[in-house]
Amino acid sequence: MTNDAVLEVKHLSVDYGSAAGAVHAVDDVSFTLRRGQIFGLAGESGSGKSTLAYAIARLLRPPAVVTKGEVWFYPRSDEASDGKAASTAPVNVLGLTPQGLRAFRWRRLSIVFQSAMNALNPVLDINTQITDVLRAHEPGMSRKARQERALELLRLVGIAPDRLHSYPHELSGGMRQRAIIAIALALNPDLIIMDEPTTALDVVVQREILAEISALRDRLGFSVIFITHDLSLLLEISDQIAIMYAGRLVETAKQRALYHQPRHPYTYGLLHSFPKLHGPRQNMTGIPGSPPDLRAVPAGCAFNPRCNYAFGACQHVQPRLMTLCPAEPEQQVACHLYDPKMGPPDLPEALSGQDALIGNAAPAPQKESAHEHSSSLF
Amino acid sequence: MSILHPFSKSSVDKTGQNGSRKPAKNKANQDTPILEALHIRKEFPLGGLKLFGPRRGVKAVEDVSLALRPGRSLAVVGESGSGKTTIARLLAQLYPVSSGSIRFRGAAVRGTRGRKARAYRRHVQLIFQDPFSSLNPMHTIRYHLSRPLRIHGHARSAAQVERQVKALLERVNLVPAEQYIDKFPHQLSGGQRQRVAIARALAAQPEVLLADEPVSMLDVSIRLDILNLLLRLKEEDRLALLYITHDIASARYFADETLVMYAGQVVEGGPSEEVIQQPKHPYTQLLLLSAPAPEQAEEQHRADSPLLATRGDPPSLIDPPKGCRFHPRCPYAMPICREQVPPRTDLGAGHWTHCFLYGETTRLGDLKPARPTKVASEE
Repeated sequence: MTNDAVLEVKHLSVDYGSAAGAVHAVDDVSFTLRRGQIFGLAGESGSGKSTLAYAIARLLRPPAVVTKGEVWFYPRSDEASDGKAASTAPVNVLGLTPQGLRAFRWRRLSIVFQSAMNALNPVLDINTQITDVLRAHEPGMSRKARQERALELLRLVGIAPDRLHSYPHELSGGMRQRAIIAIALALNPDLIIMDEPTTALDVVVQREILAEISALRDRLGFSVIFITHDLSLLLEISDQIAIMYAGRLVETAKQRALYHQPRHPYTYGLLHSFPKLHGPRQNMTGIPGSPPDLRAVPAGCAFNPRCNYAFGACQHVQPRLMTLCPAEPEQQVACHLYDPKMGPPDLPEALSGQDALIGNAAPAPQKESAHEHSSSLF
Repeated sequence: MSILHPFSKSSVDKTGQNGSRKPAKNKANQDTPILEALHIRKEFPLGGLKLFGPRRGVKAVEDVSLALRPGRSLAVVGESGSGKTTIARLLAQLYPVSSGSIRFRGAAVRGTRGRKARAYRRHVQLIFQDPFSSLNPMHTIRYHLSRPLRIHGHARSAAQVERQVKALLERVNLVPAEQYIDKFPHQLSGGQRQRVAIARALAAQPEVLLADEPVSMLDVSIRLDILNLLLRLKEEDRLALLYITHDIASARYFADETLVMYAGQVVEGGPSEEVIQQPKHPYTQLLLLSAPAPEQAEEQHRADSPLLATRGDPPSLIDPPKGCRFHPRCPYAMPICREQVPPRTDLGAGHWTHCFLYGETTRLGDLKPARPTKVASEE
């Protein structure tokens, strides 16, 4: 994995509606996505994660309005194979003209939508749906070449070539999802946004699709923005994870750092919200209360009414993302508990140590115990 | 909101080491089942006119037996199409069984309509998966909760109804009750709606609660709240709980016992901790390997299992495979698996499975190399 950025989102805000009654669905979100990285975006329903993704892909429709911010895209330079060497100048995604947007989408950025069942056209076979993309974006391609590419794509995602002329209803849920991934890959994009790609699937199929995505990423080198409400899934597949709450990023960190040392109380709560399959069975509490209504987001930190550690400043001042320790520059958190200027109380034990998670065991013995359990499995 | 300890004393005993398991088991034996399913089958007839040949149908549930006991919870785990929801609906008598019987306090239950069915529903209540569609958008919370109170005769005067509705709302932590009682479902969040659905089920003062994926439509952060609420109610009322889920990790958290279903058949069952920590049936093992487990994400052992190499989908239930329905996907399948349905094999400590790999007559030495390594090394 190289370290150059493929996408930079700067202070992006999206409102639904305008003026006084506006709902701030995405509020001042910034992040950088690196090439070849799987960037996990987690949040509950209404946290703005899908709106953010649609804003990046310019898919928002009124009443949604981008009120602030920039999205910069840095294309890959290996276009020689096409004959026409596309420019590698950074693209200002929010400023693209309709023509520019048409060229940008699919070749640079494609999307896998939430429900595989509805994303495919039920009256066209898979072949038609793949070649349609190629016909629209590669007018110079011959019919035979398109056909070959369609077969190649199916093989790539693990569908037998004899299913090329199947209709969506003849495929199982997992195969449909694979077909959609094949279509998203048709033009070999730099970035794929996957919006809850496995939510409708059973766990066994979900595992297959996740393995497929990882393998394809390793092979083709695209980046992924993986959106889901299921943090346990993200912990397995992502390199970098961002947690959204009420339209804002509350924490972003590398997968390992987030898992072993969550900093934001909300992240900590989420990590304690799904029961574990291994290790000691323990009492779990979840997070009290329910996600906020975006029409009436609490003042200050939006999480403060549900937070066990909230203090005075949390109700008045909105926290900003900041880096906590120089050793972990990728981990940023928006929480006053870590800001001495706000005069926070002592850091709660749960959030302070390396032992923040899983039965309060230190990392080394914890790994050992996890191993013990896995070996007892098989 | 108060957070309650979700494990009863008895279930803590059970999850302890071998030494402490025995007394808990004796206690369980004393508790006679309140609701039992004996060899139930359900086949949904297929539409369409077919003059010749046998009528075809979807064989949704095949020979399932289970027992619900007061103060205990039983989880049924399976993928979509495995028949788990059908089991809940059969137990709730929403539709009749094709064969087999359902027994409530030892007496056979018959009929899905009329006075008898109504009497049955006083004792057995169902909570649906989707709190967005299981409440009537035209009616207030007061209406939803007062209907069962009046129908089942728990409250007669208006004052009684009012008092009991408020008490119900308080029991499910919708406090202050006055704030919720006159609201419509659309004014509540998903978690609050599911609490209303639970309160409505409790209004009948049931002894058995059947929860069909009660949290799968809810946000992750509030799921545990609802599960903990159900566990608390189970303790308070000594409810017998059936918990239908696709999430095997939540079954481990929630249930004393777990059944695993595949394509309409039960493949494995027993104490949750046994089934999930020592899975025997290849399908249970596949399910556990597939479930997200970040605590194991850093280990590579998953890739080693031959189970994960098996692609495939659950079979059609119109024309299911003969024998064990998992055999087309099973890397350990033997000739006998294609011919006969595996009988139940007891593995000790209440744990059992339907798999020839563990059968008395079929457990042959030369099969060992093909079996899961851990299983082989255990013997």
